[in-house]
Amino acid sequence: MKRFALGMAVAVLAATTGLAQDRPQIATVNYPLQYFAEQLAGDAADVLFPVPEDVDPSFWRPTISDISTIQGADLILLNGAGFATWIDRVSLPRSRVVNTSVAIEDQFIVTKSITHSHGDGGEHSHEGLAAYTWLDPTLASAQAEAVATAIAGKGLVPVEDVAERLIALQADLAALDARTAEALADVGDVAIIATHPRYQYLARRYDLNITSLEWEAGAMPSDAELAELADEAAQTGATVLIWEDTPPDAGFDAVTDLGLRNVVFSPLATANGDADFIASFDAYVTALSDALQAQPGN
Amino acid sequence: MNALFLAFAYLRYHWARSSVLVAVAALILFVPAATQILLSTSERALVARGDATPLLLGSRGSQLDLTMSALYFSDERPDPVPMAEVETVWDSNLGVPIPVHTAFSSSGFRIVGTTLDYFDFRGLSPVDGRGLSILGDAVIGSEVAESLGKGVGDTLVSAPENLFDLDGVYPLEMPIVGVLPQTNTPDDSAIFVDIKTAWVIQGIGHGHEDVVTAAEVASGTAAIANAAVVQYQRITPDNIDSFHFHGSQDGFPATAVIVVPNDTRSATILKGRYLDSEGPTQLIEPAGVIQGLVDRIFRIKSLLDAVTAIIAIAAFAAIGLAVFLSYRLRAREVATAVKLGARKGMVLRLLAAETVTLLSISAGIAALGAIIVSQNAEAWVGWLLSLGS
Repeated sequence: MKRFALGMAVAVLAATTGLAQDRPQIATVNYPLQYFAEQLAGDAADVLFPVPEDVDPSFWRPTISDISTIQGADLILLNGAGFATWIDRVSLPRSRVVNTSVAIEDQFIVTKSITHSHGDGGEHSHEGLAAYTWLDPTLASAQAEAVATAIAGKGLVPVEDVAERLIALQADLAALDARTAEALADVGDVAIIATHPRYQYLARRYDLNITSLEWEAGAMPSDAELAELADEAAQTGATVLIWEDTPPDAGFDAVTDLGLRNVVFSPLATANGDADFIASFDAYVTALSDALQAQPGN
Repeated sequence: MNALFLAFAYLRYHWARSSVLVAVAALILFVPAATQILLSTSERALVARGDATPLLLGSRGSQLDLTMSALYFSDERPDPVPMAEVETVWDSNLGVPIPVHTAFSSSGFRIVGTTLDYFDFRGLSPVDGRGLSILGDAVIGSEVAESLGKGVGDTLVSAPENLFDLDGVYPLEMPIVGVLPQTNTPDDSAIFVDIKTAWVIQGIGHGHEDVVTAAEVASGTAAIANAAVVQYQRITPDNIDSFHFHGSQDGFPATAVIVVPNDTRSATILKGRYLDSEGPTQLIEPAGVIQGLVDRIFRIKSLLDAVTAIIAIAAFAAIGLAVFLSYRLRAREVATAVKLGARKGMVLRLLAAETVTLLSISAGIAALGAIIVSQNAEAWVGWLLSLGS
């Protein structure tokens, strides 16, 4: 009897493992796409986001093993808008790659033009694009729709199931947009400084006045950087600094000493602990709203 | 049995004359047989490659040039087609477009820039090493590996296209990361790279060049080189992040685009979209183009057959004359045999045995040659077809 039970257990385990291996795989390049794919595919597919937690997905460099894993996925979801430049330097099966921002290309924000030269080739310039499109929930909704179309198009999930889940997801994003608009209403004149240029779409969508620095995420700012912040605050009259990632306490203190309020608002390229995309976005917006509406000196 | 023994002894005694006769007869029998085998194999190989490639998209111009460059990686250079055409096919949802970029070569073998979909489409998987992963990687066909004696871990350098290098575009060193199995198709003689690597070779994409001079290679040192003494560029872990491409990918070039339609209906719709003879691009069925080429080859083959037949008749006549003259020369020998008691029938049997022996040996040699040709026909035809124009 014991032997039979053991045999059954092994058989069930093998079947479960087999099912897990048989499930289609969806590879993503950032957390928002991972979240959308998980919401839309449900249990029908495994969603991969192979970037380590402590690495910025924008500048991640995949290993050969990572590339092999991504190449083997049934669907590879890209963000577009120049996000994750590593995709230009690896080989991906085009038939399984979907750029989720094709439909919103006309809404991209052009950031700056960099001019440089190589060898005898003469000077040339590159136009930059703001890449964090999902910080505008309406654009995120369009990307979610592209993800749904791709999942259904590849036959990974029945079309009806994907359509039903997309309606729910887009409703969540629309509600998020409404809550954010309400929370950030009437703060357009308040100048904000961000430690990194990540918030262009958020600023455009909610009419925020954000100036960006080029600080390293989560690092203690140097004296020169603090001096630059002081100058920028003096010029713009900013009273709030958005941190891309939580710095050491001394960083908060140094900024407070300059008369600015600290707000941590991760651009959500990676997950924020256990909180999902919507909850994290809500929490950051609430924190930003509170900081903006607080009286100076509080 | 006695007649055969005497005939063989006679032929062995006159070995030089017999050898010439055997060689001539063997050639007359072998050449048409070998031609037939090679042409049949060529037809099968050509038609099979054409049949295995449903549709081909390229710039308007010679359909044969387009087909030869995209399917057989020949030296023809059809006008490039912009990658926007690839996106147009994707957007249509009617098929899978697979761009191929065959403008460059290395060590006499064509560099084929493409996407990973090409390997899925042709059913190619490395027998050694891995597939393409990062910019600069190269996967080589079996013929390339054998001819160059190279394998995984070795490198190849693209051939400079412009000796004067006016654009400052240097040849690219590419690490070999995989070797493909022998397929007896032009894929055996190709060096596969990601199409983005082909664009780097073309100078459309570049980085902060980690250039390598011949002196540095010889000495094993690395140094920042002056552009004037640059030999080739190399993509390394240190500089790969600096590689980038200029402009929109829609404008980047491909030699042609293999289009795999979803079904017959999709193929028909796609073909209908490229019917405008004034349009810059054309969508062709390679099988039709190849069949036209094969028909042309076989028209030439008919002519060849006629020429071969005439030469064979003339050669057999020459052999017959030689045999007849030898009989005349042997008139006294025959008369002696008759005087010794040999009947006329015996003499005729002796002469017939000599002729049959000669022809049998010739036929045996010709058959052996035909078997060798037959066994190697696919490889030889694959090699012949992969040769440049």
